[in-house]
Amino acid sequence: MASIQDIRRRIRSVKNTQQVTKAMKMISAVKLRKSQDRLVAMRPYATKLHEVVGRVVTRFEGGSPVPPSVLAQAFLSPREENLIRVVVVASDKGLCGGFNANLLKAADAFFLEKGNMVAHLDVVGKRASDWARKHRHEVAAEFTQVTLPDLRKVALEIAESATTQYAQGEIDALYVVHNYFHSAISQGPRVIRVFPMAFGAAPESNAEISHLLEPDPNNVLESLLPRFIETEIYRALVESSASEHAARMSSMDKASSNAQEMIDKLTLNMNKVRQAAITNQIIEIVSGAAS
Amino acid sequence: MDGHLLLEVVTPERKVFSAEVSELSFPTAHRGYYGILPGHTPVMTPVGDGLITYVQNGQKFLLTVFGGFAEVGPDRVTILARESETPEMLDATTLTVARQEALQRLKEAKGPLDLAKAQADLDAAEIRSQALPH
Repeated sequence: MASIQDIRRRIRSVKNTQQVTKAMKMISAVKLRKSQDRLVAMRPYATKLHEVVGRVVTRFEGGSPVPPSVLAQAFLSPREENLIRVVVVASDKGLCGGFNANLLKAADAFFLEKGNMVAHLDVVGKRASDWARKHRHEVAAEFTQVTLPDLRKVALEIAESATTQYAQGEIDALYVVHNYFHSAISQGPRVIRVFPMAFGAAPESNAEISHLLEPDPNNVLESLLPRFIETEIYRALVESSASEHAARMSSMDKASSNAQEMIDKLTLNMNKVRQAAITNQIIEIVSGAAS
Repeated sequence: MDGHLLLEVVTPERKVFSAEVSELSFPTAHRGYYGILPGHTPVMTPVGDGLITYVQNGQKFLLTVFGGFAEVGPDRVTILARESETPEMLDATTLTVARQEALQRLKEAKGPLDLAKAQADLDAAEIRSQALPH
């Protein structure tokens, strides 16, 4: 049986670990709130933009002549998918439960299905770039250690180069593999196709309103669509960031409570050992006195 | 005119403004300003850089806007801006610094790209300082 000294030492070390996990949980909680605020703030924008693009695009499906701009054609009459560009969004750091593992599993499944069509792979986060290296996927652009305020720049960069590539015929579609943020306790990997985009029917209530497109339809689409792509990518990045912190928070919470459980068990054990030692001593004294 | 318009200005970062106004005008990317009164024909148009002016209870207010998209309906105007601020969000000292920095860069600019960037930053600072209360 371990001595009291040994058990004390173990309790101390578990306590130290618990302090670290507790601190990490607190930090993640703060970061989660920041990311979540951003997500909540941008959702109305993204939804509105989605609505507007949907309304404009369905207009053209009604038989109006398709404007000549390449990007507009990408949305209205998509090319067949032969070459695709993929963005895999993971995190820089670990210790966040199944966050990266699940995501990369989803990425593997995606590559299994469409791997031979991938012409261009971007990775966001160190874990994603490690994954790409391990699987010998060729990485075109790597974004690591991106802070929250810089996410928008990254989104803009990806969006701009993707639209140029589409125009030059280097890619036919853009996919993003990222973690979707349902709530603070539930996140999961998701694959979205940013463009070409399949729109459902326009919202019923607005169906009869036919907006004038000023100065002309082509111009409107030209300025609307790049913004739309940028926003979709940005949204994916922010969702991933919120998911990461949420995942880390819950896994650190679990770690802290596990540590507490362990401390309780060890304390009980220590008391037992101490009591046993005292009892032993008393028996010795009593039996010594009796003889 | 007794009608009212719901003006909403949203950027990817935040909802900047959302309230009933009686009239407004915003800059477009292609031909000057659009003035909107209640009952306007539905229009969608790209937004340029400049100032949004709106009237609320007979008083005039300003907002800055940089790029984006406007959707005008009979009783509501939604502006999806790339960037936008209310005067309360702006700070005179930071603006002066930004302006001087842009001027400096304009002088030292090498190549047309640098020049355009510096000019754009200078314009943005100018627009923002116009929105500040005097």
